[in-house]
Amino acid sequence: MRIALVSTYPPGKGSLNEYAFHFVSHLRRKPEVSEVLILADDLPDGLSYPADDAAPGLAPLRIRPSWRFGEWNNATRIQQAVKDVQPDVVLLNLQFATFADRRVQGALGLLSPWLVKSTGPVTVVLLHNIMETVDLGKAGFGGNALIEGITRVAGNVFTRMLLQADMVAVTIPKYVDILTSKYGAEHVVLAPHGAFEELPEPAYALPDGPLQIMTFGKFGTYKKVEALIEAFERLQQSQKQPLELVIAGTDSPNTPGYLANVQQRYAQVENVRYTGYVEEIDVPRIFQEAAVVVFPYNSTTGSSGVLHQAGSYGKAVVLPDLGDFAELIRDEGYTGEFFEPDDPVSMAASIARFIDDPDYRRRVGEHNFVVASGLPISEVVDWYLLHFERLLNQRRSAALTVSQEAN
Amino acid sequence: MELNHRVTDGVNVLELSGRFDAYEVPTVVKWFDAHPDIVNVIVNLSGVGFIDSSGLSTLVKGLKRCRQNGGDLHLCGLQQPVLIIFELTRLDKAFSIFADEAAARAAFKPVEG
Repeated sequence: MRIALVSTYPPGKGSLNEYAFHFVSHLRRKPEVSEVLILADDLPDGLSYPADDAAPGLAPLRIRPSWRFGEWNNATRIQQAVKDVQPDVVLLNLQFATFADRRVQGALGLLSPWLVKSTGPVTVVLLHNIMETVDLGKAGFGGNALIEGITRVAGNVFTRMLLQADMVAVTIPKYVDILTSKYGAEHVVLAPHGAFEELPEPAYALPDGPLQIMTFGKFGTYKKVEALIEAFERLQQSQKQPLELVIAGTDSPNTPGYLANVQQRYAQVENVRYTGYVEEIDVPRIFQEAAVVVFPYNSTTGSSGVLHQAGSYGKAVVLPDLGDFAELIRDEGYTGEFFEPDDPVSMAASIARFIDDPDYRRRVGEHNFVVASGLPISEVVDWYLLHFERLLNQRRSAALTVSQEAN
Repeated sequence: MELNHRVTDGVNVLELSGRFDAYEVPTVVKWFDAHPDIVNVIVNLSGVGFIDSSGLSTLVKGLKRCRQNGGDLHLCGLQQPVLIIFELTRLDKAFSIFADEAAARAAFKPVEG
């Protein structure tokens, strides 16, 4: 089976790049996969994708830049790229803002699944968020109420375009319900997000030095650190032991300059460390050194890769009490302390419960490790392959029927 | 969770009961690991009232193993809450699901030779 993946991909820094990296690394190990082609976004000057890789024991990997964030013609470029490589299956790893931070360009990019399907391969979309649950303002598509209303109507239209794919996978059960009931879609499937790493039992001991409170991600839209810094300021006043706040990651592509502004605005708060972009090789250390991982989100746009990573490293987590997020915790079995979104007092109290009680912190970390270990992304890839095979068989059966009828 | 294994009319039958979740899957994984050459299996889930993604994933791995060996894995006796999870994930389209063991057994292709 030759599989093309339309996605951001490292060293590109667009959202979902890490997910694509881990997904592909496991996809290449599956015996039924003969080649993986990544149709990735164009990189900025000075960066380049790895050369074609035909390492023994792995499916060959080719990466072809095939679209550019913010451009108008991404859907047609992707369609042409698919025509050129002629895969059996195309998987599009998408969220609503994958192709642009502007409405029209972003929406036009979402025509890709429909155009790709028209070229012949089995077409599957992995949709990390749905329009119905996105807070448009916080996702960087804000404006006045009228514009948001128009955007939402357009979003419904483009959701219908996404649903032209042979299968649409989502990571939260509620999304299946919405797409099935609102759009009458019968080919929407629940596919777990999966944990990125298959790690051995983590070492729960923390390094000497201040206790690290860490947040990880791309910040500025719905992941905002102001309340976290204010919560940290309170904790430094109330806690006896030394603390450090580690803000690991970069600006969201939709909010360039956000972290620099925050850093300037909160320059008086001591013991805050901004790591900048965290290279893949440094991710384990960043998580292992953290005592607590905080999710300072004020809305949700889907399941959280960071939550799965935190679980993989056996970390206690502090989470916003948001509908979808709380639901995900229940569905997937994770546990943690919850806070009122954007409320520094509530957030500080939740973090303090883990600082004050190391045994409780460890128990929660161990629990999250078991949950995260439950379904590594390598097994999620098997689910996708099973669906791909099923869809390809359906195609073959349909073609055979047509051929027999013609004879 | 309890696992009972028996061979009926030449077909391996795994009878599971209880919760089939992340804490319980090692029992079933261990069984499949101990039977790498397994060809045809029926998993009777009539005693399972809850299944999570880990349980589903264990069955997916079992299915792949059987198909790689030229056989198949049939499911039977799914309770309504379990069937709903299969439908939500559309894995009901990937597995062959039967009402009972007799139907699951009858659906295996006869072994040639």
